[in-house]
Amino acid sequence: MFHGGRTALLWVCMQAALVVAWCFTDMETGPGAGVSTQPNGDRFKIEGRAIVPGIKTQDWVSTARILVEGEEYVGFVRTDGSFAVNDVPSGSYVVEVVTPNYRFEPVRVDITSKGKMRARLVNYIKTSEVIRQPYPLQIRASGPHTYFMKRETWGWTDFLMNPMVMMMVLPLLIIVLLPKVVNTNDPEMRKEMEQSMNMLNPNPELPDVSELMTKLFSGSKGSSKAGGSSKGTRPAVKRR
Amino acid sequence: MAKLILLCLKFIILSSAVEAVFEDQVGKFDWRQEYVGKVRFSHFDTHVQSSKKVLLATENNVFAALNTRTGELFWRHVDKTGPEGNIDALLQHGQDVVLVVGNGRLLRSWEINVGGLNWEIVLDSGSFQSACLVGQQDNVKHVAVLKKTVISFHYLSNGHQKWIENLPESETVDYQSVYSDGNGEVYALGIVPHSHIAIVAYSVEDGEIIKQMSVEAAWLSNIQASCVVISQGMLTCVDPLTVSLYMLDLHTESQMTQIPLQSLGLEVAPGFHPVLVSTQPNPGRQPLSEFFLQLGPDYYQLLQLNNGQIVTLRDFKPAMLVSFATTGEKTVAAVMSPKNKTASSLNLFSAETGRRLLDTTLIFNMDPYGGKPEKLHVQAFLKKDDSVGYRVMVQTEDHTLTFIQQPGRVMWTREEALSDVVTMEMVDLPLTGTQAELEGEFGKKAAIQDGLMSMVLKRLSSQLILLQAWIAHLWKLFYDARKPRSQVKNEVTIENLSRDEFNLQKMMVMVTASGKLFGIDSKTGSILWRHYLDNIPSNAAFKLMVQRTTAHFPHPPQCTLLIKDKDTGLATLHVFNPIFGKKSHVSPPALPQPILQSLMLPLMDQDYAKVLLLVDDQYKVSAFPSTKNVLQQLQEMASSIFFYLVDSTQGRLSGYRLRTDLSTELIWEVVIPAEVQKIVSVKGKRPNEHVHSQGRVMGDRSVLYKYLNPNLLAVVTESTDLHQERSFVGILLIDGVTGRIIHEAVQRKARGPVHVVHSENWVVYEYWSTKSRRNEFSVIELYEGMELYNSTVFSSLDRPHAPQVLQQSYIFPSYISTLEATLTEKGITSRHLLIGLPSGGILSLPKMFLDPRRPEIVSEQSREENLIPYAPELLIRTEWFINYNQTVSRVRGIYTAPSGLESTCLVVAYGLDIYQTRVYPSKQFDVLKDDYDYMLISSVLFALFFATMISKRLAEVKLLNRAWR
Repeated sequence: MFHGGRTALLWVCMQAALVVAWCFTDMETGPGAGVSTQPNGDRFKIEGRAIVPGIKTQDWVSTARILVEGEEYVGFVRTDGSFAVNDVPSGSYVVEVVTPNYRFEPVRVDITSKGKMRARLVNYIKTSEVIRQPYPLQIRASGPHTYFMKRETWGWTDFLMNPMVMMMVLPLLIIVLLPKVVNTNDPEMRKEMEQSMNMLNPNPELPDVSELMTKLFSGSKGSSKAGGSSKGTRPAVKRR
Repeated sequence: MAKLILLCLKFIILSSAVEAVFEDQVGKFDWRQEYVGKVRFSHFDTHVQSSKKVLLATENNVFAALNTRTGELFWRHVDKTGPEGNIDALLQHGQDVVLVVGNGRLLRSWEINVGGLNWEIVLDSGSFQSACLVGQQDNVKHVAVLKKTVISFHYLSNGHQKWIENLPESETVDYQSVYSDGNGEVYALGIVPHSHIAIVAYSVEDGEIIKQMSVEAAWLSNIQASCVVISQGMLTCVDPLTVSLYMLDLHTESQMTQIPLQSLGLEVAPGFHPVLVSTQPNPGRQPLSEFFLQLGPDYYQLLQLNNGQIVTLRDFKPAMLVSFATTGEKTVAAVMSPKNKTASSLNLFSAETGRRLLDTTLIFNMDPYGGKPEKLHVQAFLKKDDSVGYRVMVQTEDHTLTFIQQPGRVMWTREEALSDVVTMEMVDLPLTGTQAELEGEFGKKAAIQDGLMSMVLKRLSSQLILLQAWIAHLWKLFYDARKPRSQVKNEVTIENLSRDEFNLQKMMVMVTASGKLFGIDSKTGSILWRHYLDNIPSNAAFKLMVQRTTAHFPHPPQCTLLIKDKDTGLATLHVFNPIFGKKSHVSPPALPQPILQSLMLPLMDQDYAKVLLLVDDQYKVSAFPSTKNVLQQLQEMASSIFFYLVDSTQGRLSGYRLRTDLSTELIWEVVIPAEVQKIVSVKGKRPNEHVHSQGRVMGDRSVLYKYLNPNLLAVVTESTDLHQERSFVGILLIDGVTGRIIHEAVQRKARGPVHVVHSENWVVYEYWSTKSRRNEFSVIELYEGMELYNSTVFSSLDRPHAPQVLQQSYIFPSYISTLEATLTEKGITSRHLLIGLPSGGILSLPKMFLDPRRPEIVSEQSREENLIPYAPELLIRTEWFINYNQTVSRVRGIYTAPSGLESTCLVVAYGLDIYQTRVYPSKQFDVLKDDYDYMLISSVLFALFFATMISKRLAEVKLLNRAWR
């Protein structure tokens, strides 16, 4: 959950950066856009290979399909993971490998009217940007789809590590345990504690730094107040 | 930078707030049913004795393997729709299946165990005629494909072309069939209608023409319809005019011998075209010399060619269907004959002798609400004692597949009609008897008639009934708990159907293109009733309407299906009870005129049935039901009943008003020039939609009021010019009563298909941007402004101020198949868009992302309003897929229905598959979550309780001790 959040953050920042970049570059049509699709022209073949690392091909090929421009052209995956989509006219297409269980990145394939092929990253915002990809396509699955959210499970450790609980439990421990560990009825011990208290507050006559600051900023009015409050605290220390 | 980070944080918080599926919810509220469509070719996998596969190629361009034991899919491959994915032929050899696809454009070979593709090759253009496997000495290595002008020969192992030859005289000769019997030759059989048969024999090795002959046959017009090849290459044809068989030896003779059927003692039923059925069990060998001759609709004759003489083996009368099946060396004929009105019997006969095989009778019970059997697919197998056993898959007219085992046990049925759902409705289930009793107590009549005493008694008795039901329920729970879990069956049948406490379980009434209606329980997906309407025109349009819901006990609920022939416009009505599927006693009116429009009015007759108005092509209106009461109400209401008609061919939208004499008058007309743009769709709002809040609270605490016009129509047009520079998509918002154009927007350099959702005060549409080659969403929202003109009632006639229009567009990184919005009971829950993707996922996208008020620069106010900063691209997160990996192929429609819980919306996606689930667009705020930890809360309570008890005791002891001190 936390990890996911962080990556999403990164992603959004990246996207925001992209948006900024997009605002400054002129929109120009990609090289494939000039080529209009001719219904009776030559037909070409988009070839490639889909790879799911660590999984045998026969375990996933029966559920896989190759979709070109939505369902405009459909191809199937061979038993060795390679595929070919036949009968595609020239133009620019988004090729996707679709399986219910594994995630593949789509690729844009440009086919010129002479049948020259080029593959590049899909970028819907900067449509003319070209980041070359290998052709014939090599599409590698980036892992299984994450369809499910993690349930918030209830565990003792989660409960105890909660900062609120920590904040409650620690003082409680101190209140309950300290008097048990240190025998307060022992007069020697008492003396020792008082001494250590004095050590912490070495010179009671010396003004506090914070007090000094408040005096400095709030002028004369605050001084009396601050003095009052410091007076109020000091006897409390003494009483203990 | 800090601002940006803050913005990002906000975004993350928002995006993580939307719901997703949890892993333990898989299958809890949702189900999917996968279909393949009407079967065109089937083949039982016989290459391994224990194989459980049957391979199906269907008219929906699907190739699938089914498990014959359970009827479930092993795998399925869904090709393109339309003629380009059409499967022309299926040939099986061993573990490979060769398909000819797209009118002979592609040849594909599939490996059936894995379900993967072996190879795919592109064939030369030319329309496909026939294909066959070619073998030599039981060794099948090639496949021959016959097209209009060429014959090509391919290796089975890799698809490579061995040779291709032009067919001689292909301009005049119509080659229709290809035949091979394993002797090293392939025959292409062609015909010049009413003149002669052309036979060309090619050598398998190199495609050389070995022999070419032309045989006189002036009576013959189609080889595939009337000829088969039997025995040692004897071409056998039947001629209905001369009532005789013609035979020709492909190897030697050049003359057809005529055998009059009368000489065999056979007679053809008048007006019937006789049909021949033969079988070739192994492509490397000759066909059998036995064949069937169908002489009448229910009359078959088994014949044999014996030493050049035709011998009659056995006649089957009456017989509905026949089929050959082969196992090992034995070939049998399965014959289906009617037994009585509701059942028919199947028997096996030895093909060689025509003798009936013992103990092979199988009874097939016909569904009285189904269609007639159409095709037999027989799976024969050898039993241990070497006798032949069989199972049979019966295909009926309503596209149902029933797999039966001896002696008539139905192993599974598949309702393939459900692969083509056209429209559907969800109907509330009826109350149970006890619930109805309680409802009846508060009925209006009861209170007036009875006094106080009897009311008290009634109350007590109904409480008693409730107590009784509760105890019975507890007893059942206790009883079931003792049994092992597998035995407990909570089967839903029509008898025990009842509404659950949150109305989450409903009846799905589905109308399919084949004319079969289904009632499906939405909780389990089991089909509770089915009804096949025969004589449905093939191009019918359907409209399903709920006239009376289940709320009006004791009146039964009533649905009306309007079936309209698209060509003639003539329509019929089918009135039925949606819970039981039975045809209603109410007789629908005859509709002699073509129907232009139908509309449901909120008016009800005295039996609580809503009034359906039908407008015919004379612009006359008829009402159904048309009782006196209804007509009177209509007369009173007529001045406020308006309707519109769309004529997309002429680009005309026209609005009409009803007159008191049920005639109509034209009050407005909008003409969209049909030569420039055409109307693609017209969308109104859903009548059962509720809007909870009239406006939106802004950051400065003022209110922006929504423009909620219930009569608003969204009209989408597309340009007729499809050039990518000049094409455009237009959207018009028209008031349906006055014809006033509220808003007009044009998206340049865009084209369809356009998907639209129109709801509340917004319209969302999706189109393809030809300039940037991507899909884009656009949203239009309408607001009245800071003040509401007339807050009590909306009238189209009195709305002087034009609404404020806001619009924003976004990039969507995928194609979409269909679009719909969620719907809840009261409209309090935030809305989500449900988007069907071609990949099979159904994305639930919060409407929040499609909000034209998303700011480009974040301000304090927009943050206050929880507006997400504008980003051009919408995200597709797989967590938002409501159907996780249960993909729905070729989604055509998504149906949403409110449930009794405000947080919950019921969703059904249909296409090739059907998927049902629930969505919670604002999470489950009105019920405890299903993962609510009862154990934890009760253990904490108990712990606290005991802690107080103990500490109380301790405190007492301490006090006592102190007192003693």
